[in-house]
Amino acid sequence: MDRVVAWFCRLVFVFLYVPIVAVVVYSFNASEVSYRFTGLTTHWYSDLFHDDRLLATLRTSIVVGVLAALVATAIGFLTAFSLARFQVKGRAFFLGAILIPLIVPEIVIGVSLLEVFSSIGMQTGILTLVLGHIVITLPLATLVQMGAMAALDPSLSEAATDLGATGWITFRRVLFPLLRPSVLAAFLLSFTTSFSNIVISTFTSGVGSTTLPLRIYSSLRTGLTPELNALGTLLVLFTLVVIFLVGVRQMRRILA
Amino acid sequence: MTQTSAVRLRGITKSFGSNLVVEPLDLEIGRNEFFSILGPSGCGKTTLMRMITGFETPTAGSVELDGKTVDRVPTRQRDLNMLFQSYALFPHLSVYENVAFELRVRKTAKAELDRRVREALALVRLEDFPQRKPSELSGGQRQRVALARAVVGRPAVVLLDEPLGALDQKLRKEMQFELKRMQREVGITFIYVTHDQEEALTMSDRIAVMSKGRVLQVAGPTEIYDAPNSRFVASFIGSCNLIDAVMSSADTVEVAGLGPVPATVTGGFATGTQVVVAVRPERMTLTDRPTEGSFAGVISERVFLGDEWTYHVKTGGTELTVRVPSGETSAALATLPEGGQVWVSWPTAAGRVLPADDTTSPSLIGSPA
Ligand SMILES: Nc1ncnc2c1ncn2[C@@H]1O[C@H](COP(=O)(O)OP(=O)(O)O)[C@@H](O)[C@H]1O
Ligand SMILES: [Mg+2]
Repeated sequence: MDRVVAWFCRLVFVFLYVPIVAVVVYSFNASEVSYRFTGLTTHWYSDLFHDDRLLATLRTSIVVGVLAALVATAIGFLTAFSLARFQVKGRAFFLGAILIPLIVPEIVIGVSLLEVFSSIGMQTGILTLVLGHIVITLPLATLVQMGAMAALDPSLSEAATDLGATGWITFRRVLFPLLRPSVLAAFLLSFTTSFSNIVISTFTSGVGSTTLPLRIYSSLRTGLTPELNALGTLLVLFTLVVIFLVGVRQMRRILA
Repeated sequence: MTQTSAVRLRGITKSFGSNLVVEPLDLEIGRNEFFSILGPSGCGKTTLMRMITGFETPTAGSVELDGKTVDRVPTRQRDLNMLFQSYALFPHLSVYENVAFELRVRKTAKAELDRRVREALALVRLEDFPQRKPSELSGGQRQRVALARAVVGRPAVVLLDEPLGALDQKLRKEMQFELKRMQREVGITFIYVTHDQEEALTMSDRIAVMSKGRVLQVAGPTEIYDAPNSRFVASFIGSCNLIDAVMSSADTVEVAGLGPVPATVTGGFATGTQVVVAVRPERMTLTDRPTEGSFAGVISERVFLGDEWTYHVKTGGTELTVRVPSGETSAALATLPEGGQVWVSWPTAAGRVLPADDTTSPSLIGSPA
């Protein structure tokens, strides 16, 4: 029985990691077509770095992702903070209302965003992309941070006050340092949500503000190039580095 | 009266909505006093304490610290510190930085800060690992850090909210002595909240006994024990026989089925008033033959507790509890079976006449001993 479970676990891992491993392997495949492996090459990487249009979409995605994640994390922090610490009237309503954008199908949000933007005569572009992405990342950022705030012992801030700290000092020396991991988590989650989004971007991007996922999606028609495998590999590598850095910091925190 | 008291409460009261949690009360706590607030869970001890610290605003009444009204002074400017029930140590800061927190906030010079933090850590005997995080400490050590943090700024008053509640029995006993020693050493007024009567009796200079939002009695440990002023105080502190009785004249009490019983009457009860006679089980004497003024009864149960025997004796319509130290049990008594005939007596001074109903007991004003 145990061995069956163990094998099952291994299969799950294979299932999860096969696509990722495949991307990495094919990014070094000399052949244009993925089903034939004809040798190793770094050709696709140099192609990638010379494809200015693809790199421009990458830049758009990063800019939009960072801006949306920053705003969502900041607003989410303040929302979570006030909901957790003050007896806000209509608290239950707020909590429910925050969740709704997570439940409403993205396509509905996309359509209505486009209608709102066009009715107020707003040109689609980076700004509308950022606004659209905030709508879908804000609930996530709020929820992640609210969990951490609810877990904070309320007597910590009372203790700080008792020891002479003003509200600001209490926040800076006690509350924020304890909430920092959740702020970081909210930012990363918001960023990746924005970075990989297609539906909202379809409705809110304009000429010259195509995001990377949109570009890849549209190149389906002309055929995927191994260049995208190279890009995929770099993104996987980047993610690993981020996870490693965050992980090392967490380990330090635990070991310190 | 030239010396002002450390804390003085005047008519202080607190309601949450329509729920009256602390009834109006006056209280004075002297300098360097170890003052306990003792009462069962939910009687309003924490609320009373939080009004002194300023975390709660009293519904009415005022708080004075060192002779000055502090009703408009925020918590952080009041010259007192609180030791929280949960310790509330800052988990991201080391032991050293936790203790240094107040001094850093008050921008104490570096050398002075270091000296005082080390002094505070030495006081609680925790000099060995200033760089550890609270999560790496045992419960008792966390308690000590919290205490060091509370006293490092030399406040006039430290309030402790059931500080030993989370510790095991053995550690509690140790910490009781430690706390008392530290309080004497640093010369700070301690206001100590507890629901443990033994803790209050061993440590305090004076005790305020609370029940359902009311302070019933404020007195020293021996007086609280020997001369409780109300039914609740008598039964909450130690164990006590509470015998229903009636005033048969201005200075005699009569118990149905027993007749007049020995008791000291203080407080003017009108003839015919329902009262209770409170007698401590260890003040009663049990004999196997009648003695002067004794009441005949039957042993309904007896329990051996090592250092003493506890007898339950049925006399008239009343069940009495009598404690007899093991060494003093006469051979005759020891051989008596359950159901055997015995006689119970107690000196007049051991019986205290108290109101049958606590709501009629007088309002109290405590002043420093
Ligand atoms: N913030 C509050 N809001 C409403 N009721 C409260 C609040 N704080 C305490 N109470 C009520 O006041 C009563 C006394 O509580 P507390 O002072 O904590 O008692 P103790 O410390 O003696 O156990 C309890 O019935 C509790 O429910
Ligand atoms: Mg309490």
